[in-house]
Amino acid sequence: MVAPATTGLIDREDLLAALDRAAASKVTVISAPAGSGKTSLLRAWADRRGSLAVVQVNRDEHDAQAFWVAVLGAVRRAAAPTGRAEPPVATPEFNARAMVDRVCSELADAGGVTLVIDDLHELNSPEALAQLSGLLTTLPPGVHAILATRRDLRLGLHRLRLAGELAEVRAADLRFTEPETRRLLDAAGIRLSEAGIADLQQRTEGWAAGLRLAVISLLGHPDPERFVAAFSGTDRTVAEYLLAEMLERQSYEVQRLLLRTSLLDRVNGELADLLTGRPGNERILLNLEEANAFVVSLDPDRTWFRYHHLVGDFLRLELRRTLPEEVPTLHRRAAGWFSEHGRVVDAIQHSQAAGDWSTAARLLADHSFGLTLDGQAQTIQALLEAFPPDAWTDSSELAVAHATIDVALGRLDKAAGYLTVAEAHIETTPPDRRRRLRVAVASLKLSLARRRGSVAGVLEQVEFLTSPVTGQPEEDIGRDSDLRAVALMNLGTIEAWSLATPDAERHLLEGAALARENGRPYIEVACLAQLGFASKIRSFATTRRRCQEALALAERYGWGAETILAPALLTLAGVATWMGDFDDGERWLQHTAQALGSDTGPGISLLLHIGTGMVRSGRGRLPEALEEFGAAERLRSQLVGSHALASQVTGWLLATQARLGLTGEARAALTTLDDERASSGEVRNARAAISLADGDPAAALAVVRDVIEGRAPVTGYITIVEAHLLGGRAHRQLGNQRAANQAAESALSLAEPDRVVLPFVMTGAAELLESLPRHETAHAALLRDILDAAHGASLPAEDHPSSAVDGLSPTELKVLRYLPTNLSRPEIAGELSVSVNTVNTHVRNIYAKLQARDRSAAVERARQLGLLGAGRAR
Amino acid sequence: MRIHLPALDHPRMDPGQARYAVEVNGHLGVTALSAFPAMVAQCRGPRTVLVGLLDQSALYGVVAQLEALGLELLEIRRLTLDGVAEPDDGCLP
Repeated sequence: MVAPATTGLIDREDLLAALDRAAASKVTVISAPAGSGKTSLLRAWADRRGSLAVVQVNRDEHDAQAFWVAVLGAVRRAAAPTGRAEPPVATPEFNARAMVDRVCSELADAGGVTLVIDDLHELNSPEALAQLSGLLTTLPPGVHAILATRRDLRLGLHRLRLAGELAEVRAADLRFTEPETRRLLDAAGIRLSEAGIADLQQRTEGWAAGLRLAVISLLGHPDPERFVAAFSGTDRTVAEYLLAEMLERQSYEVQRLLLRTSLLDRVNGELADLLTGRPGNERILLNLEEANAFVVSLDPDRTWFRYHHLVGDFLRLELRRTLPEEVPTLHRRAAGWFSEHGRVVDAIQHSQAAGDWSTAARLLADHSFGLTLDGQAQTIQALLEAFPPDAWTDSSELAVAHATIDVALGRLDKAAGYLTVAEAHIETTPPDRRRRLRVAVASLKLSLARRRGSVAGVLEQVEFLTSPVTGQPEEDIGRDSDLRAVALMNLGTIEAWSLATPDAERHLLEGAALARENGRPYIEVACLAQLGFASKIRSFATTRRRCQEALALAERYGWGAETILAPALLTLAGVATWMGDFDDGERWLQHTAQALGSDTGPGISLLLHIGTGMVRSGRGRLPEALEEFGAAERLRSQLVGSHALASQVTGWLLATQARLGLTGEARAALTTLDDERASSGEVRNARAAISLADGDPAAALAVVRDVIEGRAPVTGYITIVEAHLLGGRAHRQLGNQRAANQAAESALSLAEPDRVVLPFVMTGAAELLESLPRHETAHAALLRDILDAAHGASLPAEDHPSSAVDGLSPTELKVLRYLPTNLSRPEIAGELSVSVNTVNTHVRNIYAKLQARDRSAAVERARQLGLLGAGRAR
Repeated sequence: MRIHLPALDHPRMDPGQARYAVEVNGHLGVTALSAFPAMVAQCRGPRTVLVGLLDQSALYGVVAQLEALGLELLEIRRLTLDGVAEPDDGCLP
């Protein structure tokens, strides 16, 4: 929200008209020194415009994510003026490209928004500037951007400049003319002679801040002419002369307030009372804002204020010059207030500024976990760098903070090193700190163990962390429940992946509920995404629903390509592939690869290889499938502890070798397996596939019988489906068609509820099914689908031109599936938890891609293309 | 919030310090001068020349400080050790 222009400012019609003209270009840059009136101009202009997304860059902003979250938040508020916009939330894993894409698409959805970025020179993140350049050169049609900065920035806008799409407003354009100076003084009720006005305009050279400062000093001045004469007659710099004049003309209370609170980036009444040691400062701040005296409120309720940067810088110098001994005390008081009010980063910075290094280190150790969850790893890094070298000697606190961001950023070995340092020094820390540090170390070791797939490591730490919180200070509980939510997430993940226990679901659900309670959407999404994977053993419908829930929640917070979503994306890829929708499977896999950052644990990469291997098998590209399963097998052997899909990987690897005729290699690999793996249903199936390839159907039958009759441990019912099919193939080779038909029908019956297609393709069962008489099966439709898939189709699509389908994004497909229903667009938006604008955009794109003029035509075309599975629960 | 602390490690720190003269428009008062503790100020007519021994990052720090205080920068010169402006040889190949 842009505050309305305050009184005492004049409308500068010529300038506003120039901005109006500039808004015809794509991008307008207002580049002028401090105090040139950039912000006031933007505010005045905002009052006349429709929807503006206004971003005020924080002072010395180093964090690219914080900047983009602010941009996306502003865009959302502009798109939903009713004030029901979901504010985006930062995450521990920032995916810049996905974020910029999202900003771009929401700008396009909002339609005709002007993006205003003020104080862009404060953005000290080269990455963010590069990303912004990218956005500015690809702004959607009808979207305009205005940037205000003190100095020209390297934004790479030359292409826009060449195309005549860049308008510039510079210092000379912003200078007040003599008539404008006259109007400014008139508006403030200051009477000054023509000569006085001319002197003032010349002396300030029309510099906006100078004129506004002069107005403040002239208000109530007994002799305005004398003031202007004195000012014109001095060689002092305009800024300093007028700032000193302004300060001098304030009452003692106001001076006290201005000087003592100048150390703060933002101030409210309570803080000001604390720093000045007197009550009643909120009223003073409000009065100063109303008098247009360089105090700006930051929120609609007018509780937080900041000083104009130029004034703030001057006041800080004045404070250090006149009251140097008070500076550390003021910082210390501010740190205390911020710490009490949960503004941790401010508290740490003020402690550092006061030279209270050990306090700062404690605060950082206590809060680095929560800050990381809030996506502030970069901020923690910057805070750590501000400590002097001697603060690092035997400090468990700083080592814990460092390990926290190392874990978050995937620097696992480095994290382990810092944890060793932290543990070594815990005994020498004061007793009241020991438990706290132990808890922090334990939770970090837990995350580390989970990332490395070490079951034993996870279980050891979980026991320590999930014991109930008792007998500790109140403030610990909230923090520890964050720890507990993360512990549950890590435990559930390990249980789902390594142990395949049903406890996984319970723990993940509990973790998600706790995270929701704590207002930690990131952990909630992470738990839900893992839950999709954990429930793979149940019905596909449940699995899908949970994965979509995780994606929808992430979408609401402005995420979408974060690594935490990878398990859900992979599971969706898996489900699609199981059902024979290989195109969809491949799309989800690509989406996963985008979501996975550079550093991923072996666990998730293992799944990616399995998923890719499944799609390749389904498409009959066996050599490529073999490569993927081989890569998965190698990763599996690197994992500490077992993996839920371990026998599945081994089984598919061997079966694929067999189907490629590499039975010698497969048999050699069999001899290296331990008893447990060799006796699993999946490896038995592989053994049967090898026997079949070697022309020994009797041996194959003997092997699968144990699997079918439940005497072998299996990952899920799909292994039994495979066993029936391999048995059926063996029966056919032995000439027993009736038994073969029965086996095929058993497999179809098991596969029908989820309409599983892949095992039929992977076991090479096409001939077996083709020889099954149609009147002998209760699953004719599924049978037809399977044969289509076996002959190279991707279900549900049948011989459609791939361009249209490839062109539809997963989200568009989701929207498409609501079109045959009688739900209105707002209702569809509600179903998908997105805005109506988003649905409208998707529908527009669907119509365009399907070359349909309306809803019914789109539905018909989609049916022809097989995009709406007939009766398939999708 | 800006807190200037000595940076811990500069991978490519320029060790070379030199005397610089930085000229701004107008006379600076005590408050503005306190922003440049490493510089000595001299008035030249209506202008002020700040002279100090600086390395490159300190020099840029001075420029940033001038910008923050709304001062008008007129000229920056590197001086020889006895305070004379270095001779301008034009652009040597």
